[in-house]
Amino acid sequence: MEALHPRIRLLWIGQGVIAAVLVGLVLAGVDRWLVDIPTAAYGGVVAAVLVLGIAYAVRLYQVWQFELQGDALYLERGVVTFVETAVPFVRVQHVDTQFGPIERALGLSSVVVYTAGSRNADVRIPGLTPDRARDLQDTLRELAVESEADDAV
Amino acid sequence: MNRLHSLSAVVYAIQYGFFWLWIPIFLLFGLATILEFVSLTWIPVVGALGFAVGVAYGIAYYYRFGYQITDDTFDVASGVIARRSREIPYGRVQNVDIKQGVFHRLFGLAIVSIETAGGGDTEASLNFVSEAEATRLQNEIRTRTAAVKQRRKQAGDHTGDETAATDDATPDSSGVVEPTETTATDSETGPLGPGAGAGDTVPDRDRPFDEPTGPKRRSLFDLEARELLLYSFTSFRPAAVAAVLFVFFLASDTIIEILLAMSQPVGGPEDLGTGTTSSYGIFTIVSFVNGLVITYLLSVAYTFATYYDFQLGRIGDDFVYERGLLQRYSGSVPVEKVQSVTATDNPAQRLIGYAGLWVETAGYGPDSNGGSQSAVPLAQHDRVYGFAENLTGVETPSFERPPPLARRRYLARYSLIAGSIVAVAFGLSMISPLERWYLAVIAFAAVPPAAHLRYVNLGYYVGEDHLVVRRGFWRRRTTIIPYYRIQTVSTRRSIFQRRLGLASVVVDTASSRTFVWAAPTIYDVSLEDGRDVNETSRKRLQSALRKRAAGEAGLSVDFT
Repeated sequence: MEALHPRIRLLWIGQGVIAAVLVGLVLAGVDRWLVDIPTAAYGGVVAAVLVLGIAYAVRLYQVWQFELQGDALYLERGVVTFVETAVPFVRVQHVDTQFGPIERALGLSSVVVYTAGSRNADVRIPGLTPDRARDLQDTLRELAVESEADDAV
Repeated sequence: MNRLHSLSAVVYAIQYGFFWLWIPIFLLFGLATILEFVSLTWIPVVGALGFAVGVAYGIAYYYRFGYQITDDTFDVASGVIARRSREIPYGRVQNVDIKQGVFHRLFGLAIVSIETAGGGDTEASLNFVSEAEATRLQNEIRTRTAAVKQRRKQAGDHTGDETAATDDATPDSSGVVEPTETTATDSETGPLGPGAGAGDTVPDRDRPFDEPTGPKRRSLFDLEARELLLYSFTSFRPAAVAAVLFVFFLASDTIIEILLAMSQPVGGPEDLGTGTTSSYGIFTIVSFVNGLVITYLLSVAYTFATYYDFQLGRIGDDFVYERGLLQRYSGSVPVEKVQSVTATDNPAQRLIGYAGLWVETAGYGPDSNGGSQSAVPLAQHDRVYGFAENLTGVETPSFERPPPLARRRYLARYSLIAGSIVAVAFGLSMISPLERWYLAVIAFAAVPPAAHLRYVNLGYYVGEDHLVVRRGFWRRRTTIIPYYRIQTVSTRRSIFQRRLGLASVVVDTASSRTFVWAAPTIYDVSLEDGRDVNETSRKRLQSALRKRAAGEAGLSVDFT
């Protein structure tokens, strides 16, 4: 089983911080225009969201794992709902590597695997180094071509 | 390029005319508030101008819309200013539907829609062509789609599975494939080389309209009058609720008056302003009963009109169906494109021992049911399950149930819902004259039976070649998924499930669904069993694909 790059935690923690800031802003709005909120409660809620966000990010990193198995790409992820997904290579329609501005700043990249399915139709593996991502994309593409099936949708 | 029926020019002109009529008028209203010299008396002039522009646009749209049957694609070019030309390879066509509203039937017209798996929308919609042309298109596209499949199969036989696989991925570049004599259209379209059909096209209109010379239509299932009536009375359409609410909002004053008049003889209030708690209560009950009855009757009428004269047949390896009283639908579904088969029944249908059968494809059908097509709207329970077994070749499933532990989850879940009902009642009593909010506690009485009913209707069966998943009480669905149709398999465990050692297995296929028809899920089995199902499905997917490449797996069209 392969873990993600540890730096992905920074991205997820950043998301937690953004969530905390947003909650803070909403509460500030409520405080200003609707009802007075005691400063202690205000600080407490924002701090709780922040701590939860960071804990979630750390836990998500611990949980996230993937592996190339004999017939399928296998992934494990999820903090609240733990999901184990198998994407058979036969079912891979195409593979993307993607990175957003923040991911790029962190030197990270994601691989997105598309299937023709209706749910979980795209499976994303975040937090890979660009080299590893390209490598994984190539491997998946080769495996997908190798095992192509005679029943496209 | 063929044009649409000339009457559609008139319809487009009127439609766009009335649409464009309003734009300058609204603009004028806006400008009149800002600019002094703009006067509202110009409305007739600018309105007429807008209408004229709209009419011109509609006519231009008609003249700029063309479609064509070529050797390997169905082409549609459209757009007045921004042009779009679309080529749909026959090998990718999921189904071809013909729809006729009342207006269309009066003038002998029809709307043809062509669906492929991609996108969330109909790929090509011909709005509208003559009836004869619609049937011709449906037949042509169907035979050509079948021919592509035939060629693909033969290519597989000649050059082994490798080529079959790559050919399947790119059906247009089938340069190695020789045309076969198996179908009528093949001999007409001539040899199919690389690039053929891109430039030279068959003049469709010049060719006489001929009956498909392939296999004839054979009837598989006709919905009898008795079954139609039972289906209408036992099924419920959520659309009816929307329709009733819509009418209520349109004419709420009149409707409230009628309801008041109806409730007065049984002790309702004089008018909405004056009344006692009990008379308001009576009024509420009368209104509610009325609403229910009208919604139900509307739903019955809607189902009756939709499934009137339902006929399912086969032509070659395609299902073809027809239905509708006022609005006629007819469509074809290649059996190759069927992803899964589902038998459905609701409590009323179970009571009288009936059920329905649906096939799911990756396209989008004329219903709002995503790619679900009704193959048998309603028939006796045993017949339907027999059909399902014949169609898929699945052995009679002996369902396994999740452990009784699962029931505890539903008890907890429904208790939470009942609790929130009580909380809402309490909240209402705070802000309204409602008293005795604690009577809402009665909601808890429904919790154990609800949890039990959900539990007993869950089941799964891991068959030799199929996975069978059953779930739901109000609309119980028994879905049969051939292993070779599986896309991904996931095992999901929420924090609550982890505590109880349970897991849900989501088996995803390529059927397109709305949120009402979620992916088939085996709920709340023990983790061990869940992993087992997951493992087995993955393994059997691989072996089933090999079997299928050898032509051993598939659906049988003659299932009745």
